[in-house]
Amino acid sequence: MEKKLQTRIDKLQVAIDEWLSPDNADLKEAIEKSVNEGLFSFEDIKYQIRSLKKSLIKCEFERWVELSGANEGKLPDNKEKVLCLHAGNLPLVGVQDILAVVLSGNHYAGKLSKKDPYLPVTLLKKLKKHEVLNGTWSVDLDELAIHVDKVDKLMFSGSTDSVDPVIDRLESLGLANVTTPRLMRTAHYSIALIEDDSPDTFHQLAEAVLRYGGSGCRSVAMIIAPFGLKSKKCEFTDYVEEFWLRNPQHKKPSPSLYHRYAYNKSVGIEQSWLDDFLIEETDLQPADPFILHWVKGDVDKFNELALNYRNGLQALYVTNPDIETADVLPAPEMLSDAQQPPIWWKPDGVDPLEWLSKRA
Amino acid sequence: MKKDPSKLLQTIFDPGVTFLEKAQSVYNYQIHNNPVYKVFAQHFIPSGEIPQTASEFPLLPIRAFKETDLMVNEHDPEITFKSSGTGNMERSRHHIVDLDLYRRSIRLGFASYFNSTDYTLLCYAPGYSDNPDSSLLWMMKYLVGLDVKGLSRFLPLNKPLINADVEKASAYGRKIILFGAAFGLLDLIEMESVSLPNDAHIIETGGMKTHRREMSKGELRTRLAAGFNLPEDQIHSEYGMCELMSQLYAVGSEWFETPNWVSATVRDATNPQRICDPGEEGKVAIIDLANLYSCPFILTDDRGVMNNMGQIAVLGRWHSAALRGCNFLIDQD
Repeated sequence: MEKKLQTRIDKLQVAIDEWLSPDNADLKEAIEKSVNEGLFSFEDIKYQIRSLKKSLIKCEFERWVELSGANEGKLPDNKEKVLCLHAGNLPLVGVQDILAVVLSGNHYAGKLSKKDPYLPVTLLKKLKKHEVLNGTWSVDLDELAIHVDKVDKLMFSGSTDSVDPVIDRLESLGLANVTTPRLMRTAHYSIALIEDDSPDTFHQLAEAVLRYGGSGCRSVAMIIAPFGLKSKKCEFTDYVEEFWLRNPQHKKPSPSLYHRYAYNKSVGIEQSWLDDFLIEETDLQPADPFILHWVKGDVDKFNELALNYRNGLQALYVTNPDIETADVLPAPEMLSDAQQPPIWWKPDGVDPLEWLSKRA
Repeated sequence: MKKDPSKLLQTIFDPGVTFLEKAQSVYNYQIHNNPVYKVFAQHFIPSGEIPQTASEFPLLPIRAFKETDLMVNEHDPEITFKSSGTGNMERSRHHIVDLDLYRRSIRLGFASYFNSTDYTLLCYAPGYSDNPDSSLLWMMKYLVGLDVKGLSRFLPLNKPLINADVEKASAYGRKIILFGAAFGLLDLIEMESVSLPNDAHIIETGGMKTHRREMSKGELRTRLAAGFNLPEDQIHSEYGMCELMSQLYAVGSEWFETPNWVSATVRDATNPQRICDPGEEGKVAIIDLANLYSCPFILTDDRGVMNNMGQIAVLGRWHSAALRGCNFLIDQD
């Protein structure tokens, strides 16, 4: 590996260790503020930090660099300015993008989400302190625009409908325009195949569906199982309740969920009403939050639905590593990893480090 | 138990009866005769009670027309309209129990703005011609058939509008209404159709998603006006669908008005019982009392906005997917 890059990884590791240290009062305070202001539940933040502790380690950074091809000594010295518009649906959801900018050696400009304004700052400060990050950030785009000129690259996640308004706004602030290369992620749900009703499987499924209120793009929104919902809903509900005992759901659904329940009842769709979540037996494409689509089927059905619903699909999960999926689909991951991906995972199939390592 | 709708049929179109009164009677009829709507509505309105304001009527999601046969008990359909669909897409089915009711709704709605004796209707709906179950085609045929002079007709597909068409349609001092699917009308322009006489009108209908690209209603109106050499206030829109017995018209603007038997509002997608403030986007909700035999209380999947006068503009399709996942909505963040 290129010496400069290895040095960067070493310094990054020191910064991360310091950030995730139990003595980090700054992080503790950010967690407290986030919880007190109702932004996230303590349990969800704790879970995310534990997951990051597992994945933000030196060998994983090295692996990421290897996989992305950023270690080939091709990175030119003239750095690019990268604007990251971070989402805030999960705590610290933008960490991967921040670290991709760090490892690529580019300049960072970050628009932090008002839904997660404190936690990322604690990481950014450590990265800056250890001189692995060059750049600035703000929760206010207008303020950010005062300190940042037009950027070379843009990274964000959102629906395709949000692209035009986002670009228009950035253009009005002189930060970017339609020609600025952008890495835009649009996937918003994941699909899982289970083959049994063992406690392990149902525990993993509850975690994959319900963690963060199911609001992540890696959250399972559709499950293909060898049994119908009716025969297993009582059993699975036990696992849901157990999950919620340990992790009370922080985000509550809107009244439209009850409308959905009433609708399903009126047209005879099998369902399980869980107050803050709804499971319904349907093979329609997942779209609405707080709803799990349950489909009785096998691996063929799994492939069929994944192919039909590729638009918007983030990940495919299995409990059996031998399951094969169509070549055009994302490679299946283990269901147990749904909410704790490796740092080098590819949102929407694109490695952000690889993307950043290419010249604009 | 109220099963005889004859009195309702007399009052639905009566401008002398308030919309709320009519809607309450129709709700009562639906609760007693439509098993699907009954189950749905009773999750919101206790049994035996009647909504007291127009916003209280529970609105059934429009997908019900795809997933079940929505029809009151003890009636058979005279005809079933089906929405257009591609590939394996499930199509809406609207069973029409009383075609006379449909005819009346079409006629009264159209006549509110256009006197059929003054106009020749030229219809052009290429995208619908391969759907024999299209409600739009049925409606157009009916309106064409109302022309006692027999000048109204469907234009041939894939041929430009020529001077002879215009001259023939203008006989007896008639004005022309060119009524067509939005993308079909744009095709006519591209085929180098002639300009229309300056007293002609255009009514466009259908989605704004053309087979080439999506465009705003404003851009569509501007292009139609320029293409047929008419002022923009003579470009109108019709909002109708297979699931509705009635149509809304936006005359000379993008804002749709409702006839006295229809209510159109924009609802908060996260809470359909809340009517959005003017300017706030949401889902279009329609209460069409002419849907007496299917379901009059409908929440569509169209995205719309209301103005201060209670008129609605239809902006396209509502995409729920924006509510899931890592969305960065720059203005709402």
